[in-house]
Amino acid sequence: MVKDPTNTSNPEEEPEKTRRSPSVIVKLREALQPLLEKGLADLKAAKDYKKTQVWKSVFRHKLDETPRTRALAVLTNVFLHLHPAKVNRDAIKFRYTWGMGGISFYLFIVLTLTGVFLMFYYHPSKGQAYIDIMFLENDVPFGSLLRNMHRWAAHAMIITVWLHMFRVFLTGSYKTPREFNWGIGVVLLVLTLLLSFTGYLLPDDQLGFWAITVGTGMAQATPLLGHEGPFGPELGMTAFNDIRFALLGGSIVDANALLRAYIWHCIAIPLILSVLLAVHFWRVRKDGSISGPSPVILESEMKKKYKI
Amino acid sequence: MDWVQLWEIVSLPDNLPIVFMIILIPFFMWYGFRQAFANDRLIGRLEADPALAKTHHRKVEPFREGWDPKVHVWPYLLRIELLAAIIVTVILMVWSIVLDAPLEEPANPNLTMNPAKAPWYFLGLQEMLVYFDPWIAGVVMPTLILMGLMAIPYADKNPLGNGYYTFRQRKFAISAFCFGFLVLWILMILIGTFIRGPGWMWFWPGETWDHHKLVFETNRNLVEIFGITAQPLAGIVGGAAVGLYFAIAGAVCHKLITWNAFTIRIYSQMTLTQYLIYQFFMTTMLALPVKILLRLLFRIKYVMVTPWFNI
Amino acid sequence: MVQYIKKLFRKLDDAPIPEKDPIVHSSLGMPLAISAFLLILSLIWAVYMETAGLRPWRAYQEEFGQLYQNALKKIRPQRAAEAGAIRNSEGYLTLQEELQQAETDVQSQLSTVEGEEQNIRERLAVLTKPFADARSELQATIYRWETVKSESVGERLSHEVEALRAKSFSFQFLDGDSVTYTYEELENTFNGLKNRQGELQAEKVSLLRRPTEMRSEMNAYMNDRLTGLTETQIDGLINKTETMGVFIRQIHNEEMNLVDRCESCHMGAREPVDLSADQMDGRSLFASHPRRDLLAIHDPETFGCTPCHNGNGIGTVSPVRAHGKYKHWLRPLYDKGNFEAGCIQCHRLDRHLEGAHTFNAAKDAFQHRGCMGCHAYEGFDTEPAQMREVHKNLQDLNADRITTQIAVERLLEKGDGAETNEEAHLAYTEATRVTQSIATIDADLARLNVRLDELLMERKRPGPNLKEVRNKLTKEWIPKWISNPQAFRPNTKMPQFRLKKAEIEAISAFLWQSGVNEPVASQPMGDAVSGKGLFDSKGCLACHSVGEEEDRLGGDFAANLSRVGEKTNYDYLVRWIHNPKERSLPYDPVLKHDVTREDYETRGLPFQFDPENNQSPLGNHSLQVQNSTVMPNLRLTWEESRDIGTYLAALKKETAPLPAAPFLEDTKLFERGRFLTRHYGCAGCHEIAGLEDEGKIGTDLTVEGSKPLERLDFALLTHEAKHDGWYNHKGFFERKLKKPAIYDQGKIKRDLEKLRMPDFHLDDKDVDQLTTFLLGSVESIVPPQFHNTPSGQRQDVQTGWDLVKKYNCMGCHQFTPGQSKTVMAELPFYGGSLAEKLPPSLVGQGARTNPEWLKRFLKNPALNSASPHRNGVRPYLDVRMPTFALSDNEVGTLARFFQALSKQPTPYIPPELAPLTNRERSMARELFTSNAAPCLRCHATGDEHTDPEKIAPNLSLVKARLKPDWTQRWLVHPEIIRPGTAMPSGLFRREGDRWVFSLANFRSFKGYTKDEAELVVRYMFEYTPEEQRRLTRGR
Repeated sequence: MVKDPTNTSNPEEEPEKTRRSPSVIVKLREALQPLLEKGLADLKAAKDYKKTQVWKSVFRHKLDETPRTRALAVLTNVFLHLHPAKVNRDAIKFRYTWGMGGISFYLFIVLTLTGVFLMFYYHPSKGQAYIDIMFLENDVPFGSLLRNMHRWAAHAMIITVWLHMFRVFLTGSYKTPREFNWGIGVVLLVLTLLLSFTGYLLPDDQLGFWAITVGTGMAQATPLLGHEGPFGPELGMTAFNDIRFALLGGSIVDANALLRAYIWHCIAIPLILSVLLAVHFWRVRKDGSISGPSPVILESEMKKKYKI
Repeated sequence: MDWVQLWEIVSLPDNLPIVFMIILIPFFMWYGFRQAFANDRLIGRLEADPALAKTHHRKVEPFREGWDPKVHVWPYLLRIELLAAIIVTVILMVWSIVLDAPLEEPANPNLTMNPAKAPWYFLGLQEMLVYFDPWIAGVVMPTLILMGLMAIPYADKNPLGNGYYTFRQRKFAISAFCFGFLVLWILMILIGTFIRGPGWMWFWPGETWDHHKLVFETNRNLVEIFGITAQPLAGIVGGAAVGLYFAIAGAVCHKLITWNAFTIRIYSQMTLTQYLIYQFFMTTMLALPVKILLRLLFRIKYVMVTPWFNI
Repeated sequence: MVQYIKKLFRKLDDAPIPEKDPIVHSSLGMPLAISAFLLILSLIWAVYMETAGLRPWRAYQEEFGQLYQNALKKIRPQRAAEAGAIRNSEGYLTLQEELQQAETDVQSQLSTVEGEEQNIRERLAVLTKPFADARSELQATIYRWETVKSESVGERLSHEVEALRAKSFSFQFLDGDSVTYTYEELENTFNGLKNRQGELQAEKVSLLRRPTEMRSEMNAYMNDRLTGLTETQIDGLINKTETMGVFIRQIHNEEMNLVDRCESCHMGAREPVDLSADQMDGRSLFASHPRRDLLAIHDPETFGCTPCHNGNGIGTVSPVRAHGKYKHWLRPLYDKGNFEAGCIQCHRLDRHLEGAHTFNAAKDAFQHRGCMGCHAYEGFDTEPAQMREVHKNLQDLNADRITTQIAVERLLEKGDGAETNEEAHLAYTEATRVTQSIATIDADLARLNVRLDELLMERKRPGPNLKEVRNKLTKEWIPKWISNPQAFRPNTKMPQFRLKKAEIEAISAFLWQSGVNEPVASQPMGDAVSGKGLFDSKGCLACHSVGEEEDRLGGDFAANLSRVGEKTNYDYLVRWIHNPKERSLPYDPVLKHDVTREDYETRGLPFQFDPENNQSPLGNHSLQVQNSTVMPNLRLTWEESRDIGTYLAALKKETAPLPAAPFLEDTKLFERGRFLTRHYGCAGCHEIAGLEDEGKIGTDLTVEGSKPLERLDFALLTHEAKHDGWYNHKGFFERKLKKPAIYDQGKIKRDLEKLRMPDFHLDDKDVDQLTTFLLGSVESIVPPQFHNTPSGQRQDVQTGWDLVKKYNCMGCHQFTPGQSKTVMAELPFYGGSLAEKLPPSLVGQGARTNPEWLKRFLKNPALNSASPHRNGVRPYLDVRMPTFALSDNEVGTLARFFQALSKQPTPYIPPELAPLTNRERSMARELFTSNAAPCLRCHATGDEHTDPEKIAPNLSLVKARLKPDWTQRWLVHPEIIRPGTAMPSGLFRREGDRWVFSLANFRSFKGYTKDEAELVVRYMFEYTPEEQRRLTRGR
């Protein structure tokens, strides 16, 4: 600590000072002088913080209203950069996109977060699973809210994804050059459904159990691969080696099925889904941002022969 | 009229999403087609008046000279996204606070739930089980649906209506899709949720779901009507019937694609493969309502019966 | 907002084009602000739900704290008053004085000790630190020295150690004196002081022992006299209510995988003060548990709440959740009326559970109402199953026997045909070995056959044997009875079946025609008046009743006989009264038909069958030679039987002749009737020709309570039930029991498809009890180690209760002090008279009698075969202890039951009594013959002239019958052992450590120093008829 040189008018210090040689104080003062000045300099600098190294390291550009900044704000931000700097002026209208794609993505994020929290309280083992859910509902702070949000967000996501697809079709946005992205979209739709479906079993209650039983019951009718499907038996399919067995890890919905559902639900499918999401978004950008609203083309303007 | 039960079904937490759909789907239908018709009117005007077509910015959205055709994402788009996010969050919070996610008795393999229903979004497929064998309803059909969806961009040769709502320019594509999505998917889900009661039996809305209800249904196979039961004859005749259907349906689909000059132009652009893809999926899709009607009206279970599989 | 919506509904293309670019210039501020506001609201809402909405117990706990405190403050004064009263009571004050005395006694020594202690403490305070430092330094140095490698350094260190040892410390103590120690001295002083300190503390304790004892004595005195808590304890509780935090109260039992949070709301449940609802201003949820006695046995820390009460122990978010009263919870809270259902899952094996009235009543009903005739239930009606098993084992063993027989022969042949002697020898030894195994098999066979005979005796049916209808009943009465038993005999156990006229006729015809045709010896009429006398006095009324409604008299265990005259054939009735076990024909359980007179004659055997000769003439196996009825044989003479018969035959209500029933003879109805009889499961309760081995037609009810609700068929009432809120197990059972046909309501079924359960006309009490019983009959969620699995004496008690209930012993005897008055004791004839005129109470029976004797007695209560028509022990009683024809197994069980009930060690070994000296014998005789102790004035002597007016058992039985120690207790305090006994108390008085005869002092007793009561006991255990004659002559 710095001993304030000015504060020497302390009565009982007087005798001490006289005893000690005065030069010490002087030396001390001289030594501290430069430090003091530096300190003051820092305070001055802190006044316009935007020049500080820290600030510059965080914000790569000015924060004014200029078009450049606006562009940079999007381009230099990892979260926003999947947007272009500028978009079709009419495309930002809810009316055209219905915002369903974006909302689906947002719901996916919500699901991931709530899902992670739920995993803290859940054991994918028969018997324990159900108890864990009861524990969630009754003990865990915000537990029931957490669980409810997860479930309802999942349902909501399915709806939004469907509506998204519906909109994309109505605006013909799957047409050249976006055919491939439409395909990806279809896969994403399937994955969304599978995510929700695998999650159904996890509480290990009657609802999930029978839903899964009915669901996987269809699998055993798969042609060739299911023991009740056409040509299944002929190919030596039994309840113990067919596709349903592979799905459930057993011939009945039991502990193994629970574990598999859990792993598919929490690890495998989300991973695949997020990869494909990345591709989906990336293609949106690469295929010339979102499709419209683009100027109408007239029938009369169709070329006699055109390639697609 | 059993209002209590109707309410019970509707207010079942897991059925709420479907209730939402009942509201959302019509709304967005209207919302989309409203724009489609607006655009169609514009297209009409422009077709009629080439001069205007040269000058017009060709959108129903308002536009003036000097307005920037592109706007910055920040802030104009992002602020809307923020708004959307907040609203969604609020809805989700309220929904989650008010309604508890269902948790039923611990799983008990010895006690069958009646009706044992799949998650609501698969009820369409479960409903299909009434009309088709599991291997079709549960496996083939979903696969075809997905493949069909993926094939759309490659089979649809119509260059118009890319990036804007329109009906006039894509009458066929849009009506086909709406039929598939609304009638064959959403409607089936609604039936599966609200109409199908214990034993997967048909209960009209408000009719009490009685676990003891019994109905007398003799389902026969098409061929049996003609008194043919012996294999392989039955199989062959059935196969012929199926073939016949595809022939007719194929003809119909061909008629549709060659409906008028415009469609013919599109048709002329199609490669053989594309045409066949189009034919395959259209006819297959049309097969569903046909079979459903056969079943509901004439109580016909199978059209084609073979030792290995039935259709 | 509004203009947004307006915009939504406008045709798009005729929207006016604004001057300014709407996108760039419009602001989203408003919607953003609103939605942000809503978001915050929803967050607040969520937080509220988290803290309060979903945590109702918080509020409850706050409330409880307040109410509890008020309640405590209310009761504090009277507690204080009571405690104060005790403090001022004589005893307490004396104790207090003694305490003060004791304290003053030790005061001086105590103070010296404490002084020294104080001094030591101060010195230690000074010494400890320096000593500790010095010691650690020294040790550290030594360690270095020990571990160092180089010589030189070691050298140096050794010097250092020396130095440290030599180093001197000087101290200045508080009390002034100062010392200087070397390390050694320091160490010794330090340890010395420490030890001394220890000694002093010990000393202190020993000094204070007496006062502490006194204190605890005072507390004990206080607690013995207090009815509740002291005011100090109350204050403690009040403080607790102030500091009591708000948190989840939870019982957790790992083993049971149990988490019960019930007490998070029901906080009063286990409070030391009894809290009633109105004490907690009407909030019954705060009341304390009403049955502390139960909590004492079932420690909540182990058993929690839900195992007994059901409900969802984890669910704390709302009362509905916690009580499990929602659709998806499988174990909803038991209602108040059914709470005993919770006992059953762990106490299923108990036949009689002290204090669980509903439980016991339900089990009795299930047995006596005949539920067990159609429904299997673990522990009820086990004999048939046992029989089947024994039969099977017999067959197996016989098979074994034959095969081993063959093996033996093989070996013998092998031996005969052997080349060398060794082989032959081996073979023969082997043969003998195997032959021995045959012997063991035979032993087993014998054992099983015995068991089979026992089972044949033990098996009882709830209903009478219908093979006897032809002998027993007025023909026309049968259809009348079947059509509506209740009409003829209100609250009979025979239920009413919902039968069509045709069915009734067919069944009656079948029963009539399938009955045996053995004639019954015809009997002359007797004297109805004496008959009534006998009926009232011999004890028939312990089970039977006569008269209807208010003038109904007697027990409800067996039939009401008010109208028996209308139905019975006199001759048969007399035979029945004379010996109910007597059958017209024996039944062959192996060949499965009755053995006829011809079967005997053709094999030249006498036509006679009874427990002694019960071998079938048709093969070497046992017959069933007795009626499987619980009605015992009262050992009446034929006259007595006739008199009673005459009396009963006259009991009629309607004398008009019954309508003729020609169809009874219609053989065409036979097959149909047989079919229906089977269909309605009549054979479940009755013995019917050809249907003796019918199984139970009802469902097994052992775990009916945990049947999934979906499996209970509410049929067309499902929706009504759901709507009116009785769609649950309770609702189902209650309605089913009240109206067994209820779930056929509205169904269109053919007669044979209809529900078969007959109508028992149960009153609401019965319904509640049985509902509770069924609700509790569940697959236990409690792990087995927590169940009550009686073993040893506790099991003896339970199996014993089985029999006691089976034969309705409580009709005459009292078994437990808690038991309500017996039927006999309630009868007016016995109202005024002595306890001696009633059947003896059996409280403490095990302590009183020798079990071996008891077995003999139960086998034959007459205790002799010469004159069976009397009581063996109490010939002077009008009431007759009947012969129950118990199997040896049952007799053994009862003997063990009594031993166990009075906690007697088994087996009983009679103690050795010192033989009497001549002097003692003469003393005893003098006492017995004196007028001061006229024993033989009351005690029977076996003299048929005088006995009838005696009121006490014959003393010559004592030796065999009683236990000496009990006998002595009885001599000294009869009044305590059996209040109201005629045996005079105060015969002996305490003198020093011995009992002395107090009513007179005889010459011969002078200078006798031993215990005189004991003398009398020893005398009585040498007592013989000869001695008795001698005494009687002496008087």
